[in-house]
Amino acid sequence: MNTIRSIGVALDQTAPVVSDEAALVAELKAGSEEAFAYLLAIYQNPLFNLISHMMAEHGEAADVLQNVLIKILRGIRQFTGRSSLKTWIYRIAVHEASNHRRSWRRRLLHEPFSMDDEALHLKVQSSIYRSGRETPYSVYEKAECQAEVKRALADLAEPYRAVVVLREIEGLSYDEIAEVLGVAEGTVKSRLRRGREALKRKLAARLSRSI
Amino acid sequence: MIFESCSEIRGYFSDYIDGACPAEAIHSVRYHLAHCGACTSELERYEALQTELQGLFRQQVPPDLALRLRVQMSQELHRNVFQRFLVRLENMFRPVLFPSVAGSLVALICIVLMLGAGTPQASNIPDVPFVTPPRIQVLPPVNLDAGAQPLVLVTYVNAQGRVTKYKIISGQETPGLMQRLDQMMYYSLFQPATSFGQPTSGQVVLSFRTITVRG
Repeated sequence: MNTIRSIGVALDQTAPVVSDEAALVAELKAGSEEAFAYLLAIYQNPLFNLISHMMAEHGEAADVLQNVLIKILRGIRQFTGRSSLKTWIYRIAVHEASNHRRSWRRRLLHEPFSMDDEALHLKVQSSIYRSGRETPYSVYEKAECQAEVKRALADLAEPYRAVVVLREIEGLSYDEIAEVLGVAEGTVKSRLRRGREALKRKLAARLSRSI
Repeated sequence: MIFESCSEIRGYFSDYIDGACPAEAIHSVRYHLAHCGACTSELERYEALQTELQGLFRQQVPPDLALRLRVQMSQELHRNVFQRFLVRLENMFRPVLFPSVAGSLVALICIVLMLGAGTPQASNIPDVPFVTPPRIQVLPPVNLDAGAQPLVLVTYVNAQGRVTKYKIISGQETPGLMQRLDQMMYYSLFQPATSFGQPTSGQVVLSFRTITVRG
């Protein structure tokens, strides 16, 4: 029970706190370029992270993020404020990532090989190596571990993956996840439970080692 | 809340690690965990999984993508043709706006200064008309007796102010009148006509009328 809990997600999750969301939304609806620049500065990294984990193919995340931003720009006038701006934006991102992933699966038949996974692996390694005083071996081990967790997450069925990513990686509360996905809070709980179960089975060997 | 089996309690682990378990279930879970090593290990696996997921590398937007997003956002905001035209126009003129305005102002100041310096000083010499007609200076008192009709004649005056000839335009041309006119013109003196200030020959029209004074 004495597990070490990571705090690596704290920084970006606190970013989308806007003191006066209504004023920001009004500015966005008025087409203020400064307001959109502010929105972009706040949400581009969390959205990119969310989409990257939602997508099986990392290289597609950039295209999806661009589509998401276009949809936000075009749809902001239809934003009624029934949900928070954050959950509205996340809803667009999750739907866009899901749609893109479905179409990507169809395209996958014609694209037998991609270097992006390997490139991401190297990128993760280099970022870990830069971050501390770790030995190359421990860096490699961490990168391997992260790659394994990512693969397990990518293999998860979509409804469960979305909930797990929103909860564990983006740190959304149950009611926020329910708003993003448009489902009941009970459904969020059950999907999260099943998703965690499935991941636990996939990563059983690794988890046993880490206890 | 009483749990019948380990599988039943494990169904609460997901909510338990999120702190979303009902209060009565929390006590039961804790009680069960205190006496069940297998469920404790299972919960540790849940927590280890949570740690692994939360420790995943957070993707950051690469600088080139961030730039593309900004450009795309700007283009999207100016989709309207007129707005796009205005933005392009602004972008086109912005680099030359300051130099051109500054250049125009400097040019204007230079022109004003040059015009100010080149303005001629007011002359003390009175203006001289280009051309002036001859004017009578001395007209001898000769009784012309022109009759009822007025006598109008054109007099030709030379540069010395003397009458060189004259011609009657209107009035009677009697021999006596002509003789008296000859006398008058012979003794008359005119201020000669001038051209650019220099005396020159000119013409003057004279009109005579008989005036009868009773008394």
